[in-house]
Amino acid sequence: MASIEIKSDITGNVWKVLKSPGDSVEADEPIVIMESMKMEIPVTSPERGVIKEILVKEEQTIAEGAVVVRVEV
Amino acid sequence: MGGTDKLAKRKSRGQLNAQERLDCLVDPGSFIEIGLLGASGVFKEDEKRTPRDGKLVGFAKIDGRDIALVVNDFTVAGASTSATNSKKMAHARRTATEKGMPFVHVGESTGARLPDAMGSRGMGSLLGNDPTQFRRSRETPWAAAALDTAFGSSAWLCCCSDFAVMRKGSIMAVSSPRLVSMAIGEQVDLEELGGWRIHADFTGLIDRFTDTDVEAMQEIRTFLSYMPSHNMELPPAREPAPDATQDQEAILDILPEKRTQVYDMRKIVEIVVDRGSMFELKPRFGRAAVTALARLGGKPVGVIANNPLVGAGALSIDAVRKIIDFQVLCDSFNIPLLRLIDTPGFVVGKDAERKGAPGWIMNMMNATSFVTVPCITVIVRKAYGRAYVAMGGGRHNDEMIAWPSAEVSFMDPTFATTIVHGVKPGEPGFEAALAQIRKNDEVWDMATIFSVQNIIKPRETRDYLIRMFDVYRSRRGAGVGKHLLQNWPTSY
Repeated sequence: MASIEIKSDITGNVWKVLKSPGDSVEADEPIVIMESMKMEIPVTSPERGVIKEILVKEEQTIAEGAVVVRVEV
Repeated sequence: MGGTDKLAKRKSRGQLNAQERLDCLVDPGSFIEIGLLGASGVFKEDEKRTPRDGKLVGFAKIDGRDIALVVNDFTVAGASTSATNSKKMAHARRTATEKGMPFVHVGESTGARLPDAMGSRGMGSLLGNDPTQFRRSRETPWAAAALDTAFGSSAWLCCCSDFAVMRKGSIMAVSSPRLVSMAIGEQVDLEELGGWRIHADFTGLIDRFTDTDVEAMQEIRTFLSYMPSHNMELPPAREPAPDATQDQEAILDILPEKRTQVYDMRKIVEIVVDRGSMFELKPRFGRAAVTALARLGGKPVGVIANNPLVGAGALSIDAVRKIIDFQVLCDSFNIPLLRLIDTPGFVVGKDAERKGAPGWIMNMMNATSFVTVPCITVIVRKAYGRAYVAMGGGRHNDEMIAWPSAEVSFMDPTFATTIVHGVKPGEPGFEAALAQIRKNDEVWDMATIFSVQNIIKPRETRDYLIRMFDVYRSRRGAGVGKHLLQNWPTSY
């Protein structure tokens, strides 16, 4: 098992948090949806795994490169 | 090879040996070896312990076409680089370049051979005596694999190559964790030093990742199937399969009607190109851009596309680097480029500026301007500002078409409304001003002044591309470009 950090590709607001720690995720499955530049942008896991930690809350503003989720893969 | 004990150990660990890897890579019975009797020539006592001096070298065929290749034999002195095997490798590389065939390196090695390379005599004998060793001019395609332990030459050749594949569980790094720990005084984890995720997500130095050696060898075969043998010929065409054309109406199932919704551009590319022909490079690196080799009507093309699914398709520095690399590849080997634009611009902000965003954007513009292979640009949706030009907009193409969903402007209409009209969202007059700006962003005006050559429906795109690439593919130069990017740095 390895832990990977999923970072935000863009500065924006956290619109929805769709998953919780302990949930399973598939590759490319949305975990958080950001709102930036008038677009709804999903934050996804590149690999199948289990969510270890979600580091953002809804309505929070985060910067490009900020760690959003940690996933055990 | 290095003896039955070492070979048995590899087998028990599920590792293929050099001969088995070679057998997976090339057409059966096509290998002709050079340097079978080569062995270490530095210390007499090493001669018998170093059969082939640790490297299987020779010529073979892949899909009936000649290649030159080196397959490292780790069971012999860790396939370390020595005086004799350096000459063997140089012979294969030189022949590939001069005669015009791909060069393939299957890497698993420890680095320079010690103690041979120690001291001034060792350095004087072993390192730096071939000034062409890393003079990468892309006359022929190079492909490399990083398997198990890829230090030294195995890492260098992955970085110098046009295509690199890594088996998961392997390590590619400058040198071993032990040496790194001694140098910097701290313990270094093998995976964190050069594991596959490091290269997939952070370095972008490796193009594809596999679970097995067999798959890694197949990836090299697949990559070369899109490549010409050398830069003075066209890449090989093949008869498209009867079911190569997919239902083009399905594009509309993916492209959202709402401009605020994102989608996965890779799915659109998969539909437009020949069924099953999309071969994506660096899929986890700079993901706001997609770079893929593919076929249209059986003929190879390179695809560069924004992916709105990732950061709305805004181009990060990693995405820029990936696109530049891919333009270099396609321009060097006469592969026409298809670009699909849907980007709100480059990633901006303090972080991007600190990474030197303006310099990277100009690198991309520079590379885009140097491309001489046939280029067709399709504006799918958003095409804003400098990113639109860098993505092959304006006159940086042979033909540019747009889908009716295209919107072209200097910036997003919401921001433009505030800047041009001085009103913010929610303030009186904002909605009316926004509506006018949106109307102006529609692509019809651009077609009226012939700055876009056509507006076509998504479902018509595949047929258009097949026909139009034929118009541009084989003219005076017989499809061979000027290769203005062939000496671009291999990584930077």
